[in-house]
Amino acid sequence: MVDEEERLLQIANVGRIMKQILPARAKVSKEAKQTMQECATEFISFVTGEASDKCRKENRKTVNGDDICWALGALGFDDYADAIVRYLHKYRELERDKATLNKASCSRTSRDKDEEEEHSSEEKSDHQPHQQTQAPTPSART
Amino acid sequence: MRQAGTYSGILSGGISGKTGPHLLPLARIKKIMKKSGEDVKMISGESPIVFSKACELFIKELTQRSWMVTMQGKRRTLNKEDVASAVMATDLFDFLVNLVSESGEATTPLEMDTSNYS
Repeated sequence: MVDEEERLLQIANVGRIMKQILPARAKVSKEAKQTMQECATEFISFVTGEASDKCRKENRKTVNGDDICWALGALGFDDYADAIVRYLHKYRELERDKATLNKASCSRTSRDKDEEEEHSSEEKSDHQPHQQTQAPTPSART
Repeated sequence: MRQAGTYSGILSGGISGKTGPHLLPLARIKKIMKKSGEDVKMISGESPIVFSKACELFIKELTQRSWMVTMQGKRRTLNKEDVASAVMATDLFDFLVNLVSESGEATTPLEMDTSNYS
């Protein structure tokens, strides 16, 4: 199954999320999913634009999670902003724990360490290229 | 080889242990973010993850509102006009008005088709 265009979020994923909130007997037309695909994609662009404006004004190059939270609030998505702040906090805590564990594993054999770091960096997110993202040390960024 | 242990549930797949797996592929989110503007140069690693959650919330809200329109029409199939109606009825979704009126036009479909044949 190929996506319409790579500019949109995948329809299968969008459909899955829709199903989660709908009653079991509900049906969704394909066109409705497509519309939702476009709306969700536009949502990302819209919020990113606002977040990136803020970064530009503050002479920062990297859009981070806090900027997105701020943008959500600025654009009226207050409920999302609250939920995301908590989510981000939890994510950063877990990343810190992971970094601590990785550090501890350095004292083990180097082979074990290489495998684990490779594994954990893959598992951190589904496809996360490391080209432009910074090293996972959240404490260093702020 | 991963070692099973206290943290394996939390560490595998990001924060899936406690907050659920990511429902949206992060690479695609990142692509969309980069395309959103000239200014967007660098994106922190956590940003697509944050958006994965935000989009989930957004999709759920818009879907719920759309479904209410479907129910008002005593139907069981959520269609694109229901989504368009939900957008129109919600101030928060003003940024989508043009998007849904382009694709979800209620007027004669024939008008749209003829443009393809010109």
